[in-house]
Amino acid sequence: MEERLYDLIFICRPATPEEEIDKIIGTLENAVTERGGKVEKKEKWGARKMAYRVMRHREGYYVLLVVRASQGDTVHELERRLKVNDAVIKYMTVRLDEAMKRQKRLQQRREHKAARRPRGPRAGHGHPGAEQPAAAAQQQQ
Amino acid sequence: MVDETKNESKPDQPHEQPRAPEPARTEPKPAESRPPAGRPPEGRPRGDGRGGEGRGGDGRGPREGGREGGKRGRRGFFRKKKVCRFCVDKVDYIDYKKPEQLMTFIQERGKIVPRRITGTCSRHQRWLAEAIKRARNIALMPFGGAR
Repeated sequence: MEERLYDLIFICRPATPEEEIDKIIGTLENAVTERGGKVEKKEKWGARKMAYRVMRHREGYYVLLVVRASQGDTVHELERRLKVNDAVIKYMTVRLDEAMKRQKRLQQRREHKAARRPRGPRAGHGHPGAEQPAAAAQQQQ
Repeated sequence: MVDETKNESKPDQPHEQPRAPEPARTEPKPAESRPPAGRPPEGRPRGDGRGGEGRGGDGRGPREGGREGGKRGRRGFFRKKKVCRFCVDKVDYIDYKKPEQLMTFIQERGKIVPRRITGTCSRHQRWLAEAIKRARNIALMPFGGAR
């Protein structure tokens, strides 16, 4: 199976000690590597205010993992572990690779366009005599 | 695109200059009369302000002015052209993990601001809506009003 990229965000109770959060991250990482995947990024955003209350909490400890998974059941297993854990009050997995692909494609197209632009206006128009001064004026603006 | 609009707006400036002071006098009105701004889409194929206004400056101006004039007693109003902010910044991906940026696109009660008001292009509005909904899901942004 081709590799897929995921954002895995989860929120712990604000009172959770740091070691326990590290432990959770460790087990998740294990689960990923067991299945031939890789954790590309680990970010602890720390306690921050949530936009609404979740299980009576107004604050939560946010953790972001970017996971490259090569097996289909990876995300399933990760979500199962998060669901089982009492310290975790919310989690979300978002598939990223398609958006990234799209982003890359758009960027490439833009670069192509930029490379083409310098000789674009002159080659494109029929009467260079009439068009050039106008184009020059526009560039000055 | 930028070049096009400049080309069009140039010849129109003499037309618009005499009209310009009028909306200035009734300045608070345009902000209130935002809903009408979305009303005549049939009239303007491109949907973005000045392109349509510039071309139809002579033929259309009086008609629209008349419509508005019934309310205001003044004909003609000036609409500023809205540009998609994401297109200007050349954004290829709208990140749901940055709620500070998305916050400007929701209303007080948490609604996503329609693009007829913000001027966002359809593609970016789609991405934006997706990002906002994701952010809501993980409590980075409110579903209802911010508490």
